Amino acid sequence: MNITRVEVTPKEGEGLRDVRGDVVRRQLLADYGIEVSKIRSIVGFLISSSISPEEIENRADDLFADPIIEYSCTNELFIANTELFKNSPDAVISVGFKPGVTDNPGAAALDGFKTLFPNTDTNSKISTYITYAFYGLSDEISIDWLSGTLHNQLIERAIYSTKEDCSNSNWPEIQYTPKPEQVFENPKHISLEISDNELIDLSEKGLLALNLEEMKTIQSHYRDPIIREARKAVGIVTDSPTDVELECLAQTWSEHCKHKIFASKIHHVDKETGEDSMVDSIFKTHIMKPTHDMQKEVDWLLSVFHDNSGVIAWDENWSICMKAETHNSPSALDPYGGAMTGIVGVNRDILGTGLGARPIANTDVFCFGPPNWEGDLPENLFHPSRVLRGVHAGVRVGGNESGIPTINGAIVFDDRYIGKPLVYCGTVGIMPRRLVDGRESHIKTPSAGDVVYMVGGRVGYDGIHGATFSSLELTEESPSSAVQIGDPITQKKMLDMVLEARDQGLITCITDNGAGGLSSSIGEMAEYTNGCEIDLAKVPLKQPGLSAWEILVSESQERMTIAVSGKNTKRFEALARLHEVEATPVASFTSSGNFHVKYNEDTVAFLPIEFLHDGVPQLQLESEWNPPQLTEFIPPVNANHDEILLKMLARPNIASKETWVRQYDHEVIAQTAVKPFVGVERDGPGDAGLIAPIHGSTHGIVVSCGINPRYSDIDAGAMAAASIDEAVRNAVCVGVDIDKIAGLDNFCWPDPIESEKTPDGKFKLAQLVRANRELERVCRAYRLPCVSGKDSMKNDYGKGENKISIPPTLLFSLFGDHPDVRMTATSDLKVAGEKLYLVGESLDELGASEVSFMFRDEDSSMGIGGNVPKLTNPESNLSTYRTLSKTIRQGLVQTSHDCSEGGVAVAIAEMCIGGRIGAMIDIDGTGDNSLWARLWGESLGRFIIGVKPENEEKWLDEMKGHKVTYLGKTEQQDNLVINDGFDEVINLNVNDLVSSWQNTLDMTGGSQ
Amino acid sequence: MYTPKVAVLFGFGINCDHETAAVFELVGAQAERIHLNKFISKEAVLSDYDILAVPGGFSFGDHLGSGRLMGNRMRFSLRDELHKFVEDGKPIIGICNGFQVLVKTGLLPGPNGHQNLPDFQQRASLTLNDSGRYEDRWVTLEFDPNSPCIWTKDMTRIDCPVRHGEGKFVMPEITDFDKLAENNQLTVRYVDPKTEIGKGITDEPLPFPISPNGSMRNIAGVCDSTGLVFGLMPHPEAVYAKWLHPDHTRGNAPGPKNSDSLGEWEGEGLQIFRNAVKYIQNNR
Repeated sequence: MNITRVEVTPKEGEGLRDVRGDVVRRQLLADYGIEVSKIRSIVGFLISSSISPEEIENRADDLFADPIIEYSCTNELFIANTELFKNSPDAVISVGFKPGVTDNPGAAALDGFKTLFPNTDTNSKISTYITYAFYGLSDEISIDWLSGTLHNQLIERAIYSTKEDCSNSNWPEIQYTPKPEQVFENPKHISLEISDNELIDLSEKGLLALNLEEMKTIQSHYRDPIIREARKAVGIVTDSPTDVELECLAQTWSEHCKHKIFASKIHHVDKETGEDSMVDSIFKTHIMKPTHDMQKEVDWLLSVFHDNSGVIAWDENWSICMKAETHNSPSALDPYGGAMTGIVGVNRDILGTGLGARPIANTDVFCFGPPNWEGDLPENLFHPSRVLRGVHAGVRVGGNESGIPTINGAIVFDDRYIGKPLVYCGTVGIMPRRLVDGRESHIKTPSAGDVVYMVGGRVGYDGIHGATFSSLELTEESPSSAVQIGDPITQKKMLDMVLEARDQGLITCITDNGAGGLSSSIGEMAEYTNGCEIDLAKVPLKQPGLSAWEILVSESQERMTIAVSGKNTKRFEALARLHEVEATPVASFTSSGNFHVKYNEDTVAFLPIEFLHDGVPQLQLESEWNPPQLTEFIPPVNANHDEILLKMLARPNIASKETWVRQYDHEVIAQTAVKPFVGVERDGPGDAGLIAPIHGSTHGIVVSCGINPRYSDIDAGAMAAASIDEAVRNAVCVGVDIDKIAGLDNFCWPDPIESEKTPDGKFKLAQLVRANRELERVCRAYRLPCVSGKDSMKNDYGKGENKISIPPTLLFSLFGDHPDVRMTATSDLKVAGEKLYLVGESLDELGASEVSFMFRDEDSSMGIGGNVPKLTNPESNLSTYRTLSKTIRQGLVQTSHDCSEGGVAVAIAEMCIGGRIGAMIDIDGTGDNSLWARLWGESLGRFIIGVKPENEEKWLDEMKGHKVTYLGKTEQQDNLVINDGFDEVINLNVNDLVSSWQNTLDMTGGSQ
Repeated sequence: MYTPKVAVLFGFGINCDHETAAVFELVGAQAERIHLNKFISKEAVLSDYDILAVPGGFSFGDHLGSGRLMGNRMRFSLRDELHKFVEDGKPIIGICNGFQVLVKTGLLPGPNGHQNLPDFQQRASLTLNDSGRYEDRWVTLEFDPNSPCIWTKDMTRIDCPVRHGEGKFVMPEITDFDKLAENNQLTVRYVDPKTEIGKGITDEPLPFPISPNGSMRNIAGVCDSTGLVFGLMPHPEAVYAKWLHPDHTRGNAPGPKNSDSLGEWEGEGLQIFRNAVKYIQNNR
């Protein structure tokens, strides 16, 4: 084997520039205010192959470098080349991946290498690195710190040269480092005949995340004489589990996979009302039951809860589905890799729905600490701006490279998300109602005897213990193996192949490999036929030496598990070869009642399917509600509302996210009819995404979301209701058919189980109970079935006094039907003379409002307490929404915007920004006596609507009986004027609104 | 009327194959999504098709430069077939990543001169946007009315989205551009939408975001000397219908200028694909 180094650096001059280096320069300026005069970049490849360095050098410009724009060199360092790098730099930093971490450029280079050198040996490997040379760097900047900002030591390594090193020509030189050897270990027998304390110890040390009762349930399983007899028959240790079995149970029974808190029996006490009651499974009571009740009333709810996503019938030929997931813990440790695996992971949930759906739209909602945070950071946590950059880049690369448009989302900021960022990724899918062979595609059809393939990527040491790890709080010692980087192109190839296989009728059952790996994917599918037999020795590995339990539970990405009936295996394998996708038969379905795992001939795990899936004991939990005592928000007297509006528009929670969102492809597939940004300059906020996925047809799908975590400070129940209402309002804004909408509930909570490390567990659980009761009440009233959902219940950082718990957060995502995407409305004001109306009513609801938080941020003695927005009469809201939405589809309304954070003032400002036109409105008579409530309050159920004068009468006629108040009209002038009766309260130039709104989160450092 | 057969390549991260096939179908062709490996393995034969489309996407994740690895596969495995395709007078289009692929195979801009057939020498490149960012934004394009390009006949100005991180068209020497300009191969450029229609084209660099990438001479797309091979960074297929234009919600999305359009709803981008279909129907 030769190790050959090839380096590539951009040519400069004649209009050519080193953009890669320039991007780093701009980011240092934007994030830290550090000015560097120039940064140059060099990309390096370390090739381990049987091809000689001379041969590689001869072809370097055919593969590694593009000779039009780049120079290459072989087996030398560019930085030492005094012709190209004349001046001695002030610092040089070289960053490469740690051995074993996914190196996508390296994998692509290897593919190209094989095109050029088809005879290279099969063990050839290429790893990559990047070197930055800094010029004009202040001596005050620590190079160690600088190198820290350019890499994540969990997955990357960096070496650097200081100014002095540079002047002595001591250059950083990353060497090729093979992956560390893995040693295969035979399955161990783990005796559970130990004390309770030792059982707990075993769970904690082994990262099993099982509690004592669960450990004891497993213990007694192995004491059962019938079980022992059965185990003897297959030749596995009879009286204790193997490590394979224990790991498999820990994965399957993890909070992440089994949602034990949502399934628990809760003793709920309400100190406010005196209620004392039992809730037997929040999930079954408040989520599943209402949806199943609604399923009896409509014919379009095809598949709810049990599959990887919820499926609804969209028209005669197509059904659509949606799923949202969180990837919080991995994103905290490695924002880029964590978020990327989040988005490509939820794409696989869609691909694994029914017999395979095609992902057609992504959504993403992030919750971060403030990007301009200047306070302390706990050990091992990144600055919020770095988390934002990394998460954004991961989702951008994952979504864009997969060819799936990102059409909707949000970014929410609160200090407490410094402890744990929330990264919600959602995907909408579409599939034909029936396949050519007549099967309904939302129903899986496995039979005993089907061959089970693992398709896509290989299994490696990465991603071991992801599911159990995310069921624990984040600590300084969180494991690096729980972090992975996605490989969207491997997944895209697999996706293309799987959808062809589906259309050819080759698939009988499919699911994705996410949390818990093969253990979960095959384990879950085996429930259909009641049994399976797996041979782990057949599983293709990234590197040899993985032990049986590691193969079974590794969460290595880009894998689907697919069952194919015996007669179709040849065609299936041929299709995989065409697409250059690896597909390996690793198991078969049986009806034995057992999850039977072998390694070659040896049985290494033998668990009854029933025990595996239903054996976990129900948790018994305590919940107690005491309303939080908060200082009330009392608006200051003599406030300058002009000043407040400009400051509100610049608040991260309200400010434009355009520079971030524009970096997502939101238009691939040629279907996006309402884009994330709208208006004259295409920079006003869109309320919901609207797509027409069938080319040539105007039939549409609406996708929207709602999220209001700060209302939980007063009442998590109100938080949940507000999130649902916001999602529905956003969908109404674009004209959704309100009678065909479906929702997804994604709960992210701090640990709500009372314990030493969580003394306030009862309160946090009471918040969960209240949130779910409101979820049921509002969803029933809106006839909005929840068809899929997920919960992430351990969003805390650290322990004791320094513990940071996130505010209880429900993301409510919605997808719904739209008969004709041409008949829609957007938030930008359209023309002068447009008549503006408020739909709904402004109440005295300033509690936990954005304006209250603004004042508290400025003066910590101010409070945020008070009346939190409530949904008192959702039935009446629904009726208004139905009519309003209908008038949009009738073409009576072209302008609509929902009122949320910042109330009427911010909503109308955003509408002026989108339309680049002024408006004059009067908020007298729009609700409560308090001007603050009418201007800044966040009461639910409200919209600002613009109608052309010629449609006004007709529209008012349609809206008869609903609360509608005339506000004013757009003016062909540069100012937004808001009056309260005879008092002018706001008068601002639209251009000033634009710059306040756009500057805060720009963070690009410019475009040149 | 003859129904032209279109091969729409996909695989390895190409991702605009569905809509690219769909727009050809809308203008009367029969389009088939075909994995590149089918041509390489001879399971499918390129000469059975009348038009070849290389859609947008992220072939091989844009690693080692956008279009590079896909370009190499085509250059090394389909060289003769591609040469014959152009020799037979059959049109090829590359959009976004497809354009990058065609540039890196050397099909674009191709050898200088008049009606010269491909020699698979790379003469230009598409490199990182000056902004350093991948962006999805709408731009305004104007076409050279004298271009030999068969795809852009009778087109003047359209709006389109760009969705790329590497769209800056570069060539080693200024004279390289002069030669292409002489032959009217600088087919389509980014223009300021505020200019008078037909007078937007300029060689002077336009500011971001009018020119989204800092492309030399504001080049958005070029054709080869035969006019058959055409590539562009923006996505005309993404505005096949008016409802995909951002201004449709403001009631003023630009519509078709052609009398044989599919109807009031047709978007400005579809004409490019219709031109190729008609070209085949008229010249076959």
